[in-house]
Amino acid sequence: MVRVMVVDDHPMWREGVCRDLAAAGYEVVAATGEGRQAVRIAAAARPDVVILDLQLPDVSGVEVINGLRAEAPGVRILMLSASGEQQDVLDAVKAGAAGYLLKSAGLAEFLEAVSRTAAGDTVFTPGLAGLVLGEFRRLAVEPFDKTAPKLTERETEVLRLVAKGLSYRQIAERLVLSHRTVQNHVQNTLGKLQLHNRVELTRYAIEQGLD
Amino acid sequence: MVGSMRQGRDTGFQAPLWRAIAVYRIAALTYATILVVRNFTHYERPMLAWPVLAIMAGWTVFTTYAYANPARRRPPLFVADLLLTAAALAASVPIVGRVALEDGKPTLAVAWHVAPVLAWAVAGGRRGGIAAAVVMGATDLIVRAHYDQAGYTGSVLMLLAAIAVGYLVRMAEDAHNRLQRAVELEAATRERERLARDIHDSVLQVLALVQRRESGELARLAGETEAALRHLVARHAAETVDDRSEVDLMTLLGPYASASVTISGPADPVRLPAPTARELAAAVGAALDNVGQHCPSGTKAFLLIEEEPSGVLVTVRDDGPGIAPDRLDEAAAQGRLGVAQSIRGRLTDLGGTASITAAPGQGTEVELRLGRAGPKLT
Repeated sequence: MVRVMVVDDHPMWREGVCRDLAAAGYEVVAATGEGRQAVRIAAAARPDVVILDLQLPDVSGVEVINGLRAEAPGVRILMLSASGEQQDVLDAVKAGAAGYLLKSAGLAEFLEAVSRTAAGDTVFTPGLAGLVLGEFRRLAVEPFDKTAPKLTERETEVLRLVAKGLSYRQIAERLVLSHRTVQNHVQNTLGKLQLHNRVELTRYAIEQGLD
Repeated sequence: MVGSMRQGRDTGFQAPLWRAIAVYRIAALTYATILVVRNFTHYERPMLAWPVLAIMAGWTVFTTYAYANPARRRPPLFVADLLLTAAALAASVPIVGRVALEDGKPTLAVAWHVAPVLAWAVAGGRRGGIAAAVVMGATDLIVRAHYDQAGYTGSVLMLLAAIAVGYLVRMAEDAHNRLQRAVELEAATRERERLARDIHDSVLQVLALVQRRESGELARLAGETEAALRHLVARHAAETVDDRSEVDLMTLLGPYASASVTISGPADPVRLPAPTARELAAAVGAALDNVGQHCPSGTKAFLLIEEEPSGVLVTVRDDGPGIAPDRLDEAAAQGRLGVAQSIRGRLTDLGGTASITAAPGQGTEVELRLGRAGPKLT
């Protein structure tokens, strides 16, 4: 059974999500409304997947993600947010979240996203694809950054189609690729961004003498 | 001239200027008194110099108080100040005497007579200052009857000082107003952010929940309300005070987001000249209207905004039935691509291009491309 932790400060929503997950056959190992508490109990609860509301009252989404990844290595984080603050979503993805979904997504869409997250896939919305595309373009024109990652032509093509709302199946059809290959391309773009983020953080730490 | 003085414009920043004029007046009075004492013996009617000095001292005290209060800085006071000072200056003719004046002895109101000119410059800007400087300078020249280089220099200096003070006051006024606007904007932004947090913490969550639990009309309405609010929360008044020329395209397109329209784009603002951005947004709106008219209900539309080094690319895609390629040509031949033509027209006007591609089963895609160096609509 897949172990799931739900972190959301809205009680009504949290309970609803827990019920839906239990009904779909997941084991809900913890549910909390606070980011710090989530990080504290993560090691003991050993979740496989964390459903994380991006806007928590106590700490930022990025801090929770960093904490969770430190306490429970290998945990997969699916972000949910109600308001879609663009920069927050991008920062969370760079910090290592595996996917992103708007809270307005339907139940079926939500459960599919959870199962894909549990299976190690990334969950992209068109909005997230647009943000990632924008971030790579921003990095490309950044002057003094020689380590900036670049997308291959194929990856750009795939991301653009995701951003335009095509399903992986439709993309595979259009580009004459396998579904799995499309999935891999999308995952790679996220991997590059996360790796670059870690490199940046390390470099910053060394520059600041924190190594 | 006096009428154009804007008494109403006074705000906190003028107070130090009026204090400075008061200090100047006191210092000038001291200087004038010293000169009277030293030149006393050369005067034609020395005893009359004291009452004039007394009046000047009284006026100095009076104006110090009068100008300190913005409500009292009205045209009658400015005119009275100018006239009384000119009168004190003119009193030099009978008291100091023609002979002594022509001999180069100073007037009774020497230096003190500049004070009202400065007052006019502060209250009336450059023009007020120049008017007062001309009146006072002419009086000074006539009184001294010294029509040579040295005679003119004093009046010219006074004129230049009036212009400089008037100019500085105008600049200070502008800076003050700008600061005022910035403070107001900041307060408004903070209020908006607070509101956004509240909306996020309560309304959005409930609306999302309703969407999950309900189906049909209620879910659709909840979805649309949620999308509208989400836009309101995510993109608040990002436009700053002095940035009227460029706007964020994402902000302009934001209102199009709904349960059936998804908007994707970079996290950073996509800046375009305001008229260009508005025109582009209108073209996007036309493309979305087209989707609404020609596609079955329930069709979803996706907006993708991309910023490339060479320009901005906006794609409007729908997941409707699409159009077979031959039908597209056929429609074009029959002139039935009205909306498509209007979109193309708008983009051509902006120096950009629009292309429409459609594939059966994959929906229709409208690509609007705008070069960075595109001509600005003015």
